[in-house]
Amino acid sequence: MDAIRFVERHEVPKKFTLVVGLPDVGLVGVVATSHLVSSLELKEVASIESELFPPIIVLHEGVPKSPVRVFSSAEIVAIVSETAIPANAIHPLADTIVNWASSKGAKSVVSVGGMAVQNRQDIEKPKVFAAVSDKSVSKWIKDAAEILGEGYIVGPYGLILKRCAELGIPAITLLTQSFYNYPDPEAAAAAVLALNKILNLNVDVSELLHKGEEIRLRAKDVMKRTQAEMAKMNKSQEYDIPPLYG
Amino acid sequence: MEKEKRKTVFQAVDEYFKRAETMAERMFASGWNEVACSIEPLSNIFVGATEVVVTIDLPYCDSESMKLKIIDEDTLEVYAKTRKMIRLDDFGIKHRKGEFSCFHTVIHVPVPVNEEGMSSKLKRGVLEIRLPRAI
Repeated sequence: MDAIRFVERHEVPKKFTLVVGLPDVGLVGVVATSHLVSSLELKEVASIESELFPPIIVLHEGVPKSPVRVFSSAEIVAIVSETAIPANAIHPLADTIVNWASSKGAKSVVSVGGMAVQNRQDIEKPKVFAAVSDKSVSKWIKDAAEILGEGYIVGPYGLILKRCAELGIPAITLLTQSFYNYPDPEAAAAAVLALNKILNLNVDVSELLHKGEEIRLRAKDVMKRTQAEMAKMNKSQEYDIPPLYG
Repeated sequence: MEKEKRKTVFQAVDEYFKRAETMAERMFASGWNEVACSIEPLSNIFVGATEVVVTIDLPYCDSESMKLKIIDEDTLEVYAKTRKMIRLDDFGIKHRKGEFSCFHTVIHVPVPVNEEGMSSKLKRGVLEIRLPRAI
């Protein structure tokens, strides 16, 4: 049995864009992708299962669910996790996601995450940055984000980007300025606005901003557990400056 | 320093393990204290050359409702009343009946600090406390 596997319950469309929202800095990806799932009314089609994940299920309206699930419309497939991903599961999870996307004929992969900035309190409008799998993908970004040149990406999004580059799947990692270990719905809203431009969507973010305090409180516990996993994967290395350039 | 010298090795080791236990408990506990009706907030500590900056995430709080206290030269206590009563029921939790009216935390600061000169501000729902280091 594979260490990590997709369990499909409904058919997944072909030629979709995969949006990935895993727990990370400021839970930007989880909050933004969950908002996308509810706004676009994506249907639950699959889950990701693994013995490497904590032995938990999450109850929604009395029904047991896997905490890492896959939602879909005709054109967009989204992966959202409601639990912190253990650091030792990051490598196989990233590989499994990209291999699955490739096997399904995904036309692109967009990962949504946060980029911790120490002066986040003073930033009115968080900036969105993008790392791309290939220079040709840069044109898809338009003015939605600023392309990252140098730096480290630690965690699943870096690995997803690298694996996509290896398999020739166009991929983007969106990183929005955010708090490091506080859920950041404002940053998630900025990420959704960037997704709107890149994927030609029209998702309203006013509810996300309006419910900001509720989201911060609701996501507090997952943020705490995510912080512990980020420490294990040396997330702080994203602040480092790479010794080589060009 | 004098205070440190007066501690025996056993006291120091005992203190170390107590702090490690508290940290481990905080890391793995849910932080929703139903008995005390309080929530343990998320927090962060940055130690600088001249000051220590503590930030605390406090949704549903206003600056007027905060109480900050230096209990010891390396321990900070923060209490913040929430604007509204927060019920577990609001989050769809039916099997527990918690009601919460405040955030409360006791933070161990890794270096000694002075209460005098302490400043704080609440912005974007995050409380920032600046504490001058005791030198």
